[in-house]
Amino acid sequence: MKIAISTDGHDLNSRVEHRFGTSRYLIIIDTETMAFEIVPDLGANGQGSGMQAVAVAIDRKVDMVLTGYCSPMGEEYLSAHNIKLLTGVEGTVGEVIARYQNGDYDYPRPSVPDDRISRDKLIHALKVSGEQIFKIMPIILGVILLIGLFQVFVTEEWVSFIFTGNRALDTFLGACFGSLIAGNPINSYIIGGELLDFGVGLFGVTAFILAWVNVGLIQLPAEAAALCWRFALVRNGLSFVLSMLIATLTVGILSFI
Amino acid sequence: MINPRLSNAIPKRRILQKWLFPASVLGIYGILFIEMPDKAFQAFECICKISVNVLFPFCLVFILMVFLNLFLTPLHITKWLDKGVCIRGVLLTMTAGILSTGPIYAWYPLLKNLHKRGFPNSLIAVFLGNRSVKPFLLPVMISYFGWAYTLILAVLNVLGTLLTGYSVGFLVKK
Repeated sequence: MKIAISTDGHDLNSRVEHRFGTSRYLIIIDTETMAFEIVPDLGANGQGSGMQAVAVAIDRKVDMVLTGYCSPMGEEYLSAHNIKLLTGVEGTVGEVIARYQNGDYDYPRPSVPDDRISRDKLIHALKVSGEQIFKIMPIILGVILLIGLFQVFVTEEWVSFIFTGNRALDTFLGACFGSLIAGNPINSYIIGGELLDFGVGLFGVTAFILAWVNVGLIQLPAEAAALCWRFALVRNGLSFVLSMLIATLTVGILSFI
Repeated sequence: MINPRLSNAIPKRRILQKWLFPASVLGIYGILFIEMPDKAFQAFECICKISVNVLFPFCLVFILMVFLNLFLTPLHITKWLDKGVCIRGVLLTMTAGILSTGPIYAWYPLLKNLHKRGFPNSLIAVFLGNRSVKPFLLPVMISYFGWAYTLILAVLNVLGTLLTGYSVGFLVKK
């Protein structure tokens, strides 16, 4: 049986960490062989959404989690993956294992995953969706307001000065503008739609939309920090070229339909 | 929708920062109403027109978001990732990318963790690329560009991410 225990250190003398979700380490022990594995650097450091430890427990296919406290959401996920949860556990990891093997703890009942849509789940989904809409709303509102100004003050002559109608150049420029700005794709659809009304060709608009979502100059340092500079540069460079290629293909196929 | 920071409350400062942009543009409108009221009214008419155009697609977007939030959790995504470079692994990574939401910054820690554990660069690139395909936002795109365009673009975009993934895997060796 594989047991995951939240802990503040990386050996059996470490104490059980009270909160499972924000635990810094997990010790995963096979109770038959007593072989154990330390999962360090869970990234929570006492903060965060608290789902990393839960994800690890599920990923490593443990049978049981022993901890001080686990959030209701974490409990729900563990339960959905048939992982037993025992809370209120205190002491060092070694003591806890010994108590567990002596049968000092009451086994929790095996949980049954509930796939039905309950009222609570629906309310939660509505709340989360509302929050997600609320998060993107300020930028969308700002974009719509800006487009209003754009339509009044920027004339079609100005736009045609930049997007000349040369398909190759327009596609390149569209991809360049799209790469400079980043954000929710929905904004690129709205801006792209308005650019079309201004007479910008579909090549340029499509390249703009594709580069907006696939290339991110602003987030390049963050991507490089997470995955290395070479990865970030190669991926963004390829995505830039592909955004122009796909734009050309899309409009080409569309013209045949 | 799959957002790794699902349960985090948004700090007040960040909310204020987000509203700074529309508030600044509204400020420009305020000045415009005083200095050039006719232009301001024209701009206002444009805003009304755009808002009406996006209202219905936005309602559809919200309904789709609720459905996704009902049936998918962040853990589905973490489970789908990490299946390795096989057809199933690639398909699940693509699905994970398509269904993932939230700012990309929220996903970097997870990707970094996967990267450290030996998750292939090609699949990370596939995941990132497929984040650009958002089925629940398509009603807005369809309202502006039509079905045919949206479908062709989405399919080509997905195929393009595979090409990017393959190329990244080839060019960026661990």
